[in-house]
Amino acid sequence: MNALFKPWSNTLARLSLAAAAMVPVCAIGGMLLYVRSPLFTQQGDPIEQPVQFDHRHHVAEVGIDCRYCHTQVEKAASAGFPPTSLCLNCHAQVWNKSPKLAPVREAFFSNTPIQWEKVYKLPNYVYFNHSIHVAKGVGCATCHGRVDKMAAIEKYSSLTMGWCLDCHRNPENYLRPKDEVTNLKWEAPTSKESVVKELLLHGIAKDPADAEQKLALNSDPKTAFGLALKDVNGVHTRQSCSTCHR
Amino acid sequence: MATLHSLPVFDEKGKTNQRPLSVLWRSLEERIRGGADRQAVAAEFALGAAELPEANNGTSRRSFVQLMGASAALAGLAACVRKPREQILGYTRQPEGVVPGKALHYSTASFLGGRATGLIATSYEGRPTKLDGNPAHPASLGGTGALDQGSLLQLYDPQRASVVKSRGQERAYHTFLVEQLARANQHAQNGGETLRFLMEPSSSPLLASLRERLRAQFPKAKFVSYTSLANEGWQEASEAAFGAQAETRLDLRDADVIASLDFDFLAGLPGTLAHQRAYADRRDPKAGEMNRLYVIEPGMSPTGGMADHRLAARPSEMIAIAQGLLGRVARITKSNDLARFANLNPALSAQQSRFLDALATDLVRSAGKSIVAVGERQPASVHLAAIAINSALGNSGKTVRYARSLLHDPEDGPKALAALAAEIKAGKVDTLFVTAHNPVYGAPADLEFGKLLKSVPNSVYLGYYEDETAAQTNWFVPLAHDLESWGDGLAPDGTVTFQQPLIAPLFNGVTAAELLASLLGEADKGSYGLLRAAWDARNKALGQGDLVSSANWEKWIADGFAANTAHADDVVPNWATLEKGIPSGAPAAVSGIEGYFATDYKVWDGRFGNNVWLQELPDPITKLTWENAALLSPATAKRLNVAQNDVVEIKAGTRSVRGTVFIQPGQSPETVQLALGYGRASAGEQIASGKGFNAGELRTTSTFWSAGSVEVSRVAGESNTLAQTQEHHNMDEGIHRAIALQATKEEVESNKLEEVQDNRGPQTSMYEPVKYEGFKWAMSIDLSRCTGCSACMTACQAENNIPVVGKEQVIKSREMHWLRLDRYYMGSEDAPEMITQPVMCQQCENAPCEYVCPVNATVHTDEGLNDMVYNRCVGTRYCSNNCPYKVRRFNFFSYTSDYSDVEKMVMNPDVTVRARGVMEKCTYCVQRIERVRIETRVAGTEIKDGDIHTACQDACPSQAIVFGSLHDPESAVSKLTRNTRRYDLLHDIGTRPRTVYLARVKNPNKELA
Repeated sequence: MNALFKPWSNTLARLSLAAAAMVPVCAIGGMLLYVRSPLFTQQGDPIEQPVQFDHRHHVAEVGIDCRYCHTQVEKAASAGFPPTSLCLNCHAQVWNKSPKLAPVREAFFSNTPIQWEKVYKLPNYVYFNHSIHVAKGVGCATCHGRVDKMAAIEKYSSLTMGWCLDCHRNPENYLRPKDEVTNLKWEAPTSKESVVKELLLHGIAKDPADAEQKLALNSDPKTAFGLALKDVNGVHTRQSCSTCHR
Repeated sequence: MATLHSLPVFDEKGKTNQRPLSVLWRSLEERIRGGADRQAVAAEFALGAAELPEANNGTSRRSFVQLMGASAALAGLAACVRKPREQILGYTRQPEGVVPGKALHYSTASFLGGRATGLIATSYEGRPTKLDGNPAHPASLGGTGALDQGSLLQLYDPQRASVVKSRGQERAYHTFLVEQLARANQHAQNGGETLRFLMEPSSSPLLASLRERLRAQFPKAKFVSYTSLANEGWQEASEAAFGAQAETRLDLRDADVIASLDFDFLAGLPGTLAHQRAYADRRDPKAGEMNRLYVIEPGMSPTGGMADHRLAARPSEMIAIAQGLLGRVARITKSNDLARFANLNPALSAQQSRFLDALATDLVRSAGKSIVAVGERQPASVHLAAIAINSALGNSGKTVRYARSLLHDPEDGPKALAALAAEIKAGKVDTLFVTAHNPVYGAPADLEFGKLLKSVPNSVYLGYYEDETAAQTNWFVPLAHDLESWGDGLAPDGTVTFQQPLIAPLFNGVTAAELLASLLGEADKGSYGLLRAAWDARNKALGQGDLVSSANWEKWIADGFAANTAHADDVVPNWATLEKGIPSGAPAAVSGIEGYFATDYKVWDGRFGNNVWLQELPDPITKLTWENAALLSPATAKRLNVAQNDVVEIKAGTRSVRGTVFIQPGQSPETVQLALGYGRASAGEQIASGKGFNAGELRTTSTFWSAGSVEVSRVAGESNTLAQTQEHHNMDEGIHRAIALQATKEEVESNKLEEVQDNRGPQTSMYEPVKYEGFKWAMSIDLSRCTGCSACMTACQAENNIPVVGKEQVIKSREMHWLRLDRYYMGSEDAPEMITQPVMCQQCENAPCEYVCPVNATVHTDEGLNDMVYNRCVGTRYCSNNCPYKVRRFNFFSYTSDYSDVEKMVMNPDVTVRARGVMEKCTYCVQRIERVRIETRVAGTEIKDGDIHTACQDACPSQAIVFGSLHDPESAVSKLTRNTRRYDLLHDIGTRPRTVYLARVKNPNKELA
């Protein structure tokens, strides 16, 4: 009579045991990966709004500064959501009969708020403040991406705590000159020459000698530029829990 | 290489018990149990605190585990679901000045007892979330009382009345106006002969002008004011001494000797905030000459607790005591004015005589710089004796001022109400407008005011709730909250104070001014229109022209008051009539137990009864929450054979009430103190109703403050467990530890402060000291300044979104106050000294809580704060177990999840609302630190000392709490940590707390030693 279990059955049993042991690991690991994936964080999903507001047109084509609409970004925790009346600053004159803007006019004249879909949502126990980040040279595009290229607004960053701490631990990787904060097109210089140029352009270095000195802060020119900015912008990132959780 | 430290070696005796410490006790039980048995109360939580957090549904352990397993599984699944979408609803037109997320501050005012307290309100997007004192206003000087702090919550009370009603039927306000205007036209025919107004006491210039105009239209109409807390004896005395209705104004700044005859002027109640500040400023011997306070009172009060010498006396003895004091002062000064009183020498006990001898000598020694102040409970003759002493010693005009009353109707007591009642009875009243607070509840029982009110053909009540009075009137109109109204009033010194609204009426309320104006056909003007019109007219009458062009108006409203408008119309006593008011013979002694009434520190005259913050606030003395009790002295309770929590019947003549016994150390013998304002039966106030008992049922027009002789008898088999917090959160773990320290003036001056010195200084440690960067936050609490008024507790509750838990949970030691006020007694049960001590998280540098947290939910910051991270906390409660100060609070239930939308409006948006199963505690108001840090950093400046205030510090009327950084050697808090009186709480356990205490200083009179 043939043996019920062939010799390879042992291997199979061992493999099955190992696989069984992997189930909880994979399940937990999978969930951990899932909550960090764009599938969960909803990064990159274009969000349909009640009014088809196109940042591409307003920012890239017309050239409106971020702060024209997000008025309080430099003075408050929230960047400021433009009141309907602000839309009509222009649209009372231009496109004032456009059917696409009918919901805006309706909302304004009936004094009922437009129900915009929220894009960036933090848990209630997290206190983020725009004003301090902008004051220290964190650019709009650093967290919000190139909104000037988004047809419909989408969430750019994951907003996980690890993402926050990434910058709070190494702010030099994310800073930019204060006068470039709302410039969505600005990119950090990578070569030695461009770093020196930027340092002089924004008055971060007094003269070429000073710029060379700042360049020596790190072997990587980009990091050296960040460190110079950290110093001149007075950046003191904090990692104590109560910085964000109160 | 790191420096090596030697391990500390303790001597065998241990350091804690080397010297006999001042022995403190919190309750009689604790005192009786004494030394070793104190282990019993040293347990971390009270009985029941460790039980499963079920309420009454009887969940078994098994079903609990089932539910827990299910919820854990569901929680796991929930994480896999994508976050729900949320909407942003922006403004259509953003109001000017509003920056969403940033608070705006407006000056406003509250009115209690007819006097204004200047306030600053904090508002987020049009939603007031916090009230503080207006630092520039003379009546608050930046401080607030617990009542003002708590009044904010009442704005968002969902049980507030919201509809105009006629005999229970909902009506439109317009219908009401039409009907009343038609009536008013009829009244105008006969000059308003049958038109009466029962008003809340007020000093408002706006109401004065409206009353004047109403008088012109209805010359025969009458205005009567009533408050159930009227200072009736004073009104009588004032008439006798000055021939006019005057008021007493105390200036404690220059007072060296203060004698209080049953006057609780340090209790944080309306009108006492400035007293508290001035008193506290004179309680540090190193900062100037100390004052000395003598208190003679029937029951324990915060003022009595602060006294250098306190004497408990029965209310009926107070007349003889006042006479005795007057006689003694007369004999010592030999003043001509007082000569007529030199023979006054009523029979007094040896202890009383000795006390009065010393007091009289001290008063005369400080003539011109002393005060004799008398409380509202005292009869006219006691007030007259004080007037005589203050006038003869030259105090009046300096430390005491007698000036004409600022109120429209200075006589706002039972006599005025009785006169109105008689008119109603005689059918002379057709229309009665009631704006006084709930007179049916507050009126003396013998008037049967409810029945009378029902018999008035046309009665109108302007009330905040549909309360006892609303049930008896034809018309009910909802009243607007102080924060919903424009108005004005006078501060105790006469300063014109303006009230501006922070929010449009949430529940369709109207103000008293709007109601009166409706009779003049000006119902459509609104409270702002009326106020503007009245001040326009007044400005023109004063020859100052138009209000706006004179540029005063905007400034007045922005400041909250009109500067330099304090005024006093001084009056002088007529000695002949004054003499007649002071009986020469001793008053008849009251046999048996004497009952008397007390103003409650929390519900006041009952109007704060529906306010959960104030209901759950422990009483400053008894530490009772949620109800009142019949306060008996330990000896009297023993004689009557009643114990705490027993229900007794208190009978005064034919009237009787049932109340729960509370045994109060320091209570005068054979007396029972009954706090007013409880035992409500209001249909509209579900929280206030049924809490405690209505002591007012024993009150009559002739026994307004003192019920005279009462019978107290136990109701067999009935008891009621009182929810008191005094033994909760015990710190001494069965051994007497140095907790609340005090010293005498001499000890401080000669630096003989061994107990204090033992409890401070560097601690030996194995570890390298931590270097704190940036700031080193610390707090100092001066026990010499703290009166125990509890304003800080309510302020903390408002600032930090602290929930209330209810009576049953308080009994289980589960109250949530981050800041508690411990009250200790010292000495004998009959005449104990009292000391109060605010205790909140001490922000230990070596925090025991941090080591035991398994999930790192409580961690240290780089500036030395002990952070509590709610989103990490899993609720093991290990931290609370390991906290020696017992300052951590656990959310046994989800206390906030069933809040209605209106209730949620009170929440401070800068502080997380905690969920069930999370530990929480004081954070030194870290949200305020971070806000100032961000604001200064954005502006590119530095945080200066004094830029950051904690909520408790802002509220404190006596400025006992100071906050700042220790890195700045010149900061206020640094200086205080170097004070000779500084000590650390539980210093011996080496936690290195950042909060330091300054020992209380007493200034006893050697003649009474």
